[in-house]
Amino acid sequence: MKYWRETIAVAQRILTELWRRKRSLIFWGVFPIAILLLNGYIYGGRAGIPTAKAMEFAAPSSLVGAALFFSCLGGSVATVVSEREQQTLKRLFISPLSGVSYFLGIFVAHCFIGIGQTILVYTVAAFLGAKFDGSILLGLAIVFLSILAYVGVGFILGTQLAKRAEDVNAIVATFGVPLLILGGAFLPTSILPKNLLTIAKVNPIYHMNEALVGVWARGKEFAEIADRFWFLFIFALVTIALGWISYRSTIYIEKRL
Amino acid sequence: MLTIKNLKKNYGKRAVIKDLNLEIKAGEIYGLLGANGAGKTTTINIICNLIEADSGTIEINNKKVSQGTKKYVGVAPQENLLYKNLSCQENLKFYGRIYGLDGKKCDRRIAETLAAVNLSDRAKTPVESLSGGMKRRINIAIALIHEPKLVILDEPTTGLDIETRYEIWQLIEDLKKQGTTILLTTHLLDEAQRLCDRIGIIKEGKIIAEGSLNELRKLIPAAEIVIIKTKETEQAISRGKELGFCHRYYGNDLAFWLPEKLELRETLELFANINLESISRKDVDLEHIYLELTKNGI
Repeated sequence: MKYWRETIAVAQRILTELWRRKRSLIFWGVFPIAILLLNGYIYGGRAGIPTAKAMEFAAPSSLVGAALFFSCLGGSVATVVSEREQQTLKRLFISPLSGVSYFLGIFVAHCFIGIGQTILVYTVAAFLGAKFDGSILLGLAIVFLSILAYVGVGFILGTQLAKRAEDVNAIVATFGVPLLILGGAFLPTSILPKNLLTIAKVNPIYHMNEALVGVWARGKEFAEIADRFWFLFIFALVTIALGWISYRSTIYIEKRL
Repeated sequence: MLTIKNLKKNYGKRAVIKDLNLEIKAGEIYGLLGANGAGKTTTINIICNLIEADSGTIEINNKKVSQGTKKYVGVAPQENLLYKNLSCQENLKFYGRIYGLDGKKCDRRIAETLAAVNLSDRAKTPVESLSGGMKRRINIAIALIHEPKLVILDEPTTGLDIETRYEIWQLIEDLKKQGTTILLTTHLLDEAQRLCDRIGIIKEGKIIAEGSLNELRKLIPAAEIVIIKTKETEQAISRGKELGFCHRYYGNDLAFWLPEKLELRETLELFANINLESISRKDVDLEHIYLELTKNGI
């Protein structure tokens, strides 16, 4: 009950703060739609397939590779950094709030944001004629694992590397953009040279992207994407563990300030 | 309410708290007075279970400090640690829930706390658009939301203008009337003198004197302080010595400690042979006691 109450309190606070920043909220909506349209039209034009079909393939990549990456990874880094800059983190340490609830609160808030972006991306894609036949549950599981992994990585970057708000963009860009390109968020991975494709296979975004394209664009079953799913699952667990360790070390450092 | 025994804390080889003992009774305002670096914040951090002491014990409400005692303590840090995009009500609701309040009880406490800090009409105002004094009041309100047994106010008026300072003092006096136990850290001597039932002076991690203002007054042998301005300083000091008065410099002011209160006329007669520019009398206050006990001032 305590964890649940605290988790919801943290999540609600993050979402309320986002709601207050209407401009940010609008941009978080515009960004995935813009990426979807660009990806879809480029993909359709290059592959010579109808727009509707192109959108079916562009939607998963735009969602996990771009929208969720920036909102969930960038968002969780920004949340932690903003708490540190406002020094509210110290007030949280003084309170009985547990670290688990804090992490879960950030995760739940970003789940809401992620689900919002999922609905937005797929509504626009459907409006342009795309059809999706795959398992909704399996697709959502991949989306949740992606959010979990992104929040975990965001926690690590936010606690360990980004000390100030100005650091956030540089860190997200340095770590993120190469991974997005290698993950097939902007360009199909089929055009990657062999050596880059080898590197891409250890990139979680590549697996998120391929798994979601497989399920929601190609209608694949779990067995067909199991390798990618378990890769994501283990990656998410590892990032949560590392995120937790990073959080503990942050508590230790910040407490002494 | 709060008992600290033989508390010690080192940062590396530097001893920050050296055998600190302190007791705060329920319903009193205890002022912890000390210069920057004297150990006030470290003591608070240990009470809040933010850092661990190297040795010694702290009990709050007869329970040893732990994660579990955090709910007994409400802390208003010296900076306004608030979520600026949220309203006063939302800030309070967030912390209320973190401290275990829910539903109607939380709503009731928000209303009561806003009323206590005189901000009921600002409940829905975003914190970022409040004045400095209002922000400080909300900062204190957050410390009160869960009805803690002990409220710690860490330099609550530092950096505020004089009008806002009076507002905060009024608020603290109101809290005292409601029976709240308060640990107040400050380096503003007039603040401690006005608000605190008992005062502990901390220096280099140790309480060097403790008691009510009247008890502390007894630590220096003066009933009254006479401050004189004269160009004949040496003669004035000699005359003071003849009369058996201790003398001190408070800034540029030459002061004599009088063992008993005298009429102004009598005082003037004592220094009749000195060409005085001005003479004034003051009661012994916390400033004189503090300077005497710490020797090097704030």
